[in-house]
Amino acid sequence: MQPPQTNEEKQLDLALDDLIQRVRELKQGVSSFIYKLENDYQNISWPNMMEHFGVLSSGLSSIKRLLKTEKMPLLRNYVLFPILLSPDRDPHLEKLTEGRVSAFNHEVVPDYLRTKPEPEVEEKVQMLSSKAASITPEVAQKQLTMLNKITSNILDIINASSDDWDKDSASLRNALPPTTSQQETAMLIAAVTKGVRLRRQDSQGQMSPAPQMGSMPTQQHQQQPLPQKPQMPGSGIGRVPSAVKTNIKAAVTSHPYQRP
Amino acid sequence: MEAAALAPSLKNIAPQQEYLLQGSILDTHRDVLLHRLRGLCDNAERNFEAFSDYEAVYVLRNSSTAQQSQNQHVTFRVRHALDHSDAPDHIRYLGQAELGDRSRHTLVRACLDVACSSNVRDFLTEMGFRIDHDYVVKGHFFHKGRMKVTVYKIFRLIQPNKTDPHNLEPLGQSHLVELSVVAPLGQEQIGEDMKNFAEQLKPLVLLEKFDHRKIQ
Amino acid sequence: MGVSCVFSYPVPEGRSGAQVVDILQKQVETMGGSKTGTFYVDCETYQSVMLNPPKTLHILHNSEYPASCFAILDSGATLVADTLFIALMSNLKNIYQAWKGAKIESKGNRFQLADFILKIGSVSLAGSFKGILLEVEYCPCIVASECWAMLKELLQSLIGNIAESPPSALKKKKWMKSTPQQPQCCSTWTISTTLGKLPP
Repeated sequence: MQPPQTNEEKQLDLALDDLIQRVRELKQGVSSFIYKLENDYQNISWPNMMEHFGVLSSGLSSIKRLLKTEKMPLLRNYVLFPILLSPDRDPHLEKLTEGRVSAFNHEVVPDYLRTKPEPEVEEKVQMLSSKAASITPEVAQKQLTMLNKITSNILDIINASSDDWDKDSASLRNALPPTTSQQETAMLIAAVTKGVRLRRQDSQGQMSPAPQMGSMPTQQHQQQPLPQKPQMPGSGIGRVPSAVKTNIKAAVTSHPYQRP
Repeated sequence: MEAAALAPSLKNIAPQQEYLLQGSILDTHRDVLLHRLRGLCDNAERNFEAFSDYEAVYVLRNSSTAQQSQNQHVTFRVRHALDHSDAPDHIRYLGQAELGDRSRHTLVRACLDVACSSNVRDFLTEMGFRIDHDYVVKGHFFHKGRMKVTVYKIFRLIQPNKTDPHNLEPLGQSHLVELSVVAPLGQEQIGEDMKNFAEQLKPLVLLEKFDHRKIQ
Repeated sequence: MGVSCVFSYPVPEGRSGAQVVDILQKQVETMGGSKTGTFYVDCETYQSVMLNPPKTLHILHNSEYPASCFAILDSGATLVADTLFIALMSNLKNIYQAWKGAKIESKGNRFQLADFILKIGSVSLAGSFKGILLEVEYCPCIVASECWAMLKELLQSLIGNIAESPPSALKKKKWMKSTPQQPQCCSTWTISTTLGKLPP
């Protein structure tokens, strides 16, 4: 028979359930990622991988946040102590831990319920702190100023060179000859859109539609049965001075798009 | 083959618009730009794709009203690839470029491309068109998604109708750079994409919407 | 790809166009032809305004070339282009205007008979029936002058002495046949069907 739960206990239960749920989700995430890495590694892409890491790390940080919230009771105030250790296999425990811990025995309990670092680690920490304590305040002060000096020196060097670099690139930009010219742009656009500077000034150029007429006789020949219109060079333009015709004929031979 | 399938396809001609930004690069810096474009655009692993086209601009005017209405004329541009002689010729119709307001990032103009047989120049002349001017463009093109970037040099023909290299005279000391997308009207997102792309080419090239009305 | 020839088939007194088409189709089927779908040829006409001299432009579509259209000037110049060419024409509407009521179309069934393709179409001008056209194409050959004997043999068993003499354009590369009642459509149709077969 359970004693009636106090408000505090209820809250603890709720918080623990929530925590367990999140940890389980995280664990699933990790195991599916591991599965993918082991079995499907050829299809995994770098962005995909980064995405997985992102999901896992956000899971971790949300658990961290959960531990810090107001509603979460201070878990460190709770003590867990083993009442009974047994060398026998405990199927219930085995099921709970998914087969990782098969018995609650003397071997595993120190590892799982440890609240302090391992003795060797503790020893090392002890050694370092005693070494630190052995230094006199004067020596410590001296070392501190030394370190500060070195750091600020390095900072100065970095700042100076970064200034130089900025200045360099700025001056480089100024020193670089211009890669583009507004005038040229305007001139080229005028040429392709309005034909400025491309139109021929001389009269021969004005007549340049005429050379195309040069290939007309063959066409007329082929399509004899059709009603014929008098074919005159420049018909439809109607302003062709006849003196130019000889020039036109001459251009025909050089016309690159003449029909075969 | 089916008559029913043919008829509707003729009616559903979606009006296409060209969204356009223009700029230029000095010849000496062209290679820098080409390499940057190669990195920014699709098919970075491929070599530069070059093109070499002859373009002739034809104008049709109302002969009886030629005096008073200079604006009443239609311009067709005929393009022919010099490096792929078996490719069909193209007639291109370009509308007046609209500048729009500040919120629009690019020029927009009507654009119609029609492939046709290679006797098109004769045919247009027969229809009453007159050649206005012609030129050769040589350069490279890139594409990123549906954006197309062309970097090309414009050449004047010294002697008319000859496109061999000795007869070409380069125009200016720069290559023209154009960023364009051809799409149905009303896709303003394109302008945004193009502006972002143009930003990446600064300060090498300034791609802007160039007001064509300023051209004298 | 082949050589083709278009003939006008007269509609006798007292018979409707549909009947004659039916009879022709039966005949083709009796000869062993099998139906391979339908075909469609149409022609729109544009006339120039204020151009001197005036010009007429025909634009043809042919279901054998569904992505193309054929532009033919009255001077005989022809252009093969994408179907979008129509959209170019709309930009020229100040200079070339569509001639309303001059749309000619011919549609009907398409038959295959060994190396021949036969098309029997009833022609209508602005929706009203005008006559019957028969197109015969001999596919394996592209030299027109070599095909007349083959075509004649087939045609004589089908339409009799209408095919007695070859079209006058036989000696040329292209085949033309103008008929009194449908000169325009017939000739332009011929142009369209032959143009596509010659390298543009």
